[in-house]
This record gives sequence, C-alpha cells and structure tokens, in this order.
Amino acid sequence: MRRRKAGPSGVVEAPLDVRSQVQAREEGLLSVAKGRLKTYEPGDNVRKFLDLLGRRVSRPLAVSLTACVHCGLCAESCHYFLARPHDPTMTPVWKADQIRKIFKRYVDWTGRVVPWWVKAGSVHDDEDLNRLKNIVFGTCSACRRCSYNCPMGVDTALLVRFTRGLLTELGIVPEGVFNVSRDQWETGNQMAVTETDYLETLGWMRDELRTELGTDTVEIPVDRPDCEVLYTINPREIKFDPRSIAHAAKIFHVAGESWTLPKWGWDQTNFGLFSGDDKLGAFVARNVYEAAERLRAKRIVISECGHGYRSTRWEGYTWADFDQKRPTESVVITLKRYLEEGRIAVDPGRNTEPVTFHDSCNIARSGDLVEEPREVLARVCADFREMFPNRRENFCCTGGGGLLSMAEYRPLRLEVAKIKADQLRATGAKLVCTMCHNCVDGLNDVIKHYKLPMRVVQVLELVANALVVPEKSSR
Amino acid sequence: MPYIEIEERKVEVNEEGFLTHPQEWTEETAKFLAKAEEGLEELTPEHWAVVKFIRDYYLEKNLAPMVRKICQATGFPLMKIYDLFPSGPAKGACKVAGLPKPDGCV
Amino acid sequence: MSSLLRILENEVQIAALVFLVVVYAVRLAWLFRFKVHKDRTVAAGSEGAGIGYSLMAIAMPWSMESTRRRPGFYAQFVIFHLGVAAAIAASFVIPYAPGFFEIRPIAALFQAIIAAAFVVGLIRLVRRLTNPVLREVSSPDDYFSLALLVLWFAAGVLALSSRPERGEWPLILFFGLTAFFLIYVPFSKIGHYLYYPLTRFYLGRALGHRGALPPARQKRAAAVAGERRS
Repeated sequence: MRRRKAGPSGVVEAPLDVRSQVQAREEGLLSVAKGRLKTYEPGDNVRKFLDLLGRRVSRPLAVSLTACVHCGLCAESCHYFLARPHDPTMTPVWKADQIRKIFKRYVDWTGRVVPWWVKAGSVHDDEDLNRLKNIVFGTCSACRRCSYNCPMGVDTALLVRFTRGLLTELGIVPEGVFNVSRDQWETGNQMAVTETDYLETLGWMRDELRTELGTDTVEIPVDRPDCEVLYTINPREIKFDPRSIAHAAKIFHVAGESWTLPKWGWDQTNFGLFSGDDKLGAFVARNVYEAAERLRAKRIVISECGHGYRSTRWEGYTWADFDQKRPTESVVITLKRYLEEGRIAVDPGRNTEPVTFHDSCNIARSGDLVEEPREVLARVCADFREMFPNRRENFCCTGGGGLLSMAEYRPLRLEVAKIKADQLRATGAKLVCTMCHNCVDGLNDVIKHYKLPMRVVQVLELVANALVVPEKSSR
Repeated sequence: MPYIEIEERKVEVNEEGFLTHPQEWTEETAKFLAKAEEGLEELTPEHWAVVKFIRDYYLEKNLAPMVRKICQATGFPLMKIYDLFPSGPAKGACKVAGLPKPDGCV
Repeated sequence: MSSLLRILENEVQIAALVFLVVVYAVRLAWLFRFKVHKDRTVAAGSEGAGIGYSLMAIAMPWSMESTRRRPGFYAQFVIFHLGVAAAIAASFVIPYAPGFFEIRPIAALFQAIIAAAFVVGLIRLVRRLTNPVLREVSSPDDYFSLALLVLWFAAGVLALSSRPERGEWPLILFFGLTAFFLIYVPFSKIGHYLYYPLTRFYLGRALGHRGALPPARQKRAAAVAGERRS
C-alpha cells in the first residue's frame, strides 16, 4: 500500500494520545472495568478492526459502500473541499473510500480476488488505524451535506460515523473524545456535573428568577411526577451558562405549564452520536426515556441542542431498543405551540437587531425542523434575514461531529470555516440565531477567527427577550 | 505547539489559546491573555477578583470551578461575569486565569 | 451471415444474460443478508413519500445542489445513459427484430444517440484522467469500464450502419463487447444501477420517516433564492 505523505495541515499524522485512557485504567473507573468504555491496548487491533467491520455492517451501510461510482459530484458540497480545492483528501468520496477500500478488500466480492483492480486496500498496523482516526474524526463534521448531494444516494456521513464506531471500540480515538465519553459514562452527563452542582445551580437560577419577576410562585421543579413536560437540558447550561434554564423556566411559568426536570436523566446531549458508540448512545438516551416513564411525564422536551435533538428525539430510541411512547419534541416546538395558542405574548419590537438563522445539520438534514424555528422567529424579531444557502442546504457551523472537543483538529477546522464566514458576512445581520449549543460555539469560533461583527444567540433567548410578562403572575 | 511571548519569555499555548502548562502562569500572563483573547485593554479589580478565585480554586482542586461558585465567591451575578469576560467563564475567565482547556463538546 | 455472428448475437447473448441475472440474484441475496435496524420512533413524515422522492432524485436535477450547479454535467449524464439504453436495445433489436432498423430514420436516431454518448464518454474519460480529485480516487475498474464502454458505443454506431454481407467485424465487435459486459458488469462499478434503488430506498425511508424529505416545494425555492424579509 502506498504510504500517504503528511496530509492536510498534518492532521492525518496527529499522534494517538492515550494519557487519559491510561489514567482511567489506573483509577479503575467503573465504565472501563465493566468493558463499556474501551481503552487502547497495543496488540492485534487490525484483526479486531476487520472483525468488527465484518460483523457490524448493516444493509444501508453495505449499499452505501457498494454504490459509489466515483463521479466526484460530492466534492463541491463539502466545506472542507470548498475551502481547500487543491486537496483531494478533503472530498467526501476520498474520505469514504478510506473505509470503503477495506470493505472491498475483506467483505465485498471483486476486491477480495483482485484488490488492486477496484482499489481495495487495508490497514496494516496501529499507525494506519490512527491515520484513519484522524481522517474520520478530524476532516469531517458528519454534516451530511454530501449525502444529500450524491446522485446515487450514498450516505457518506453515515459511513464516517460507522468508522468512528469501529475505532472507538478499540480506543483509537482523539483524547477529547475519550474524555467526554468517559465523563458521560461515569456521571450520566457530558461535562461531569455532579448531582449537587446540578441541583444547586437550578436552585440558584430559581432564586434569581424570583428576584427578577418579583414573585415566589415561579419554580424550577425537580422530579415532580405527572407533569405535562419533562424538560431535558445540555450540561453546558449547568456548567457554563445557566441563563437559558432561567429563560425556559420563565417561559414555562408565564405559559402556566406543568413541568419538571428529572434528578437523573436530564442530559439530552449524547456523545455516542459523535463517537459512533451505539452503546453509549443507548445508555444516555435510555436515562431520559426512563426518567419520563418514572415521572409519568406526558412529553419529553429537549432544550436547544442539535446533536441532542437528533439523539434524543430520533436515534436514541433505536439505539436503546426502546419504543417511543410519548411525544418527544424540541423546546422550539413547545414555544411555537405557546405562541400559536396564545399562552405567551411576545413583542418583536424588543429584538430590533437584524437576525439571521443558522440551520443546524442535525436538526435540518438529519431531523425535521426547518420552518418551525422560522415561524417562532418571525414573531419575536423585527428584522429577520435568511442566509444563503439555507434550510437543508445550509453549511455546517464547522464545529459539528464533536470537533469542538478535539483541539488537535482546530486549525484545519478554522481554515475551512472560511466558507461559513463568507456566508455569515453576506447577510449583514448582527445576530445569528441557532437551535444548537454546538453551533453556538462553532459559530463563535468562526466569528472570532474571521473577525465578524456578529453575536450568536439562541431561540430561547430571543423569545425570553420578547416575552411580555403579565403584571400579576396568576399561578 | 504554538506559543506566546510575554516579557521575552516564551509561554506555550494550545490551539485555542489556553496555557499548555498552567504552572507557567503569572499576572503578566493574565494581562496578556486578557488583551489578546478577550480584547480587554486592562483588568479592573473586579476582573482580578474573578481571576484570583478561579486560580486559587484550580490550584487547590485541580478543577475549573462551576460558574455558580464563581458568582457565589465574588458576589457577582451571572450577567456581570459575561460583562467582564465576553467569552464567558470557561473560555474567557478560566483562560485568563491560566487554566487548561476545559473538556467537553461545549 | 456467418455462423459465428449468428451464435454471437443470439445464443451467446442469452447465455451471458442468464449469467448476469443469476449473479445479480446472488448479489442481492448477499446484500439482503446484512441486517436493518428497526426504527423505534414515531414518524414525523411519510416513509413512502421519502422513498418516492429519493428514487426520483436523479430525474430531478433541480433538487440537489450538486446537479443544479452543474447542468452541463447533468446533461452529459442523460446523454450517456440514453446511449447505454439505446445500445442495449439495439443488442436485442438487431438479432430479433432487424426489420426495425431497416427503417432508416430509426436506425439513424439510434446511431445519433449512441454517437452523442460516445462523445460524452470521451469527455468523461478525459475528465477522469485529468481532474485531480478523480485521479486520486479512480481505480483501474473505473478507467477500464469507461474506456470499454466508449469502445462499445463506437462499435454500436458502426454496427447500426453496417450490413453483414459487407463485413461483419463491427457487429462481431459490438456483440462481443455486449456479451463481455454482461459477464463483467456484476463484478464492476457498472453494476451501480442495481444498487441505486437500494441506496435510494434506505436513505429515502430514513429521511422520509423523519420528515426531512421531501422538502415542501415553495420552501425549496426559498432555500435557493435566499429571500430577504424584514
């Protein structure tokens, strides 16, 4: 096999860093000891990789692996290639071929007999597996734009996730991926927030909200049974910016909603989506679904998060083998309902700065919400502008696929974010609104790096700004 | 690894501007990072109150403090922290205080 | 007509076609041994509509940015595949309904389509040899399939204008290549037409279930046009 030279920005050659994995083993972490969280061990990883590949390929993956005709149309749909048109290793077809060639060599037909004829190939050692890790974790945000633009319907984004899953099983992952997976396995949430911190933060926000509204009737309930809404959040909201929890609580209060947060199972984010680990995906999602069962909530509401929405609303039920029994919706849908039913009143005059909307990959391409956030924004903003392209054709914020937790891939990520920067600049908007926390950080990085005069906001914030609180709280 | 130069001393930072070796932090480093990363021309006593608390907490517990603790210790409401450090407590204040990058797909 | 040509355009074709069908059946059986995970969620859209839309994708160049941006490329695709269809049709008409091609305008039409496909094939071959992305990913199978197809188109154009009594080599070449393709195709990328319905079905079903496809018509226009509203 021809050895590839140092690839894009040296990303392909980023070494495998297992320091925190070693530490996790030494500390005897439960998730490691029980074999849920895999760590890297030198040995016959190639054989294990090939074995996993053969066992895990599903039918949709198999047809995506066989159907590619190397037409190259996917190339211009990918922001990595658009920003680096001199670099063929940035194209979806090239990236997909890195796993496809192995499939051709060991699972498919022609590639097993005459591999060179169909460019079948293999991985030979842990170095090769490490390079593969860099490619599927570091040169792709799994935004699925290529899948939507392939004439054959090859789902390259799914192939990337599949490959990540194989590598995660061997512990051959970027350090950031291991750390976050470890935290989510061990504590049930992505940021290792303890129960004490969680409850105290909620109490703190409740107190600030009571001061702000001048009433003691507003609550942030925890583990209240038989409510209409089970609200689930992103750990980032507890750890770094609880204002969004206060926004939600205020809105629920004014809308007169019966709602609660659960004491366990409150994390709607799901790193299993990014690491390709269906077991982690199942564990986290199941926590949420079982909390809803336990508390007999009528519906599950997910705070604004792209991958969290996709994982909890869609993928999680399949990962966890759990039949969906209750409506599971994004908080934006809840807001839309409140507005349509007149349960909350808003004044768009409170949001005067020009706003544009950034469709998140996991919500627009891998989910169903495209018009709904716009309908909400139309009511709470005075000056709304679309970016181009938008909706399902929008470009990724560049921080998707878990890239924000992988520092080694940041330079390349920011380089290819030029596509996004140009898109944002062209709107002339001051605010860019998004339904995803990851996009908030991804876009913030783009804005800072390309010095754009913009700020990122979320739908909850804009609605809370525009909220007309009745003079007397009736509950 | 990239680095920044503070008073002719080379200090290593990671790709996001966080210190690679937190023990290399000095008050000069803080001022430098505040200017370079947060656009803060100078640090007021309020800034220092936040930075000192975070730094002491980290040295004692080897962890970044939660924003709630920062607010409790300094007496500042959450909005004030964002006023002081536009990038927020994690990416702004903790970075200026010389902490390593926080984990998590934030 | 020599007995070689008669056997080639008849028994050999049928044998090769039977081989093709058998191998495809085995291939499909092999693909269907891979499992599908059952979706446990309540649908937000229609799986049927998603599947239908997805299957029709290649006939709707406006629906994908990639084909929308490259109308010339799409036109080439259409011509090329019309040529394939015409050549395949000719391989049946010549032995079993030769009278059809005695009607000059019809034969000329088929020739024109296949000739146009021949030209497109050459363009595509040059592209595959010179475009840096395609050079990086293309395999010998990609080049060989395309080159041989171009040769087949040429043979088809010549075969359609020839009379057996004047020299049989264009027809022998044409039917020889046809038989070869029938044996080769299931092991090559040329078999992609078998996979198209499958990839499209699974993608369409998954996205249709979620209500991601098909997009509402007026909203797609907005996505493309970049409307301004204040």
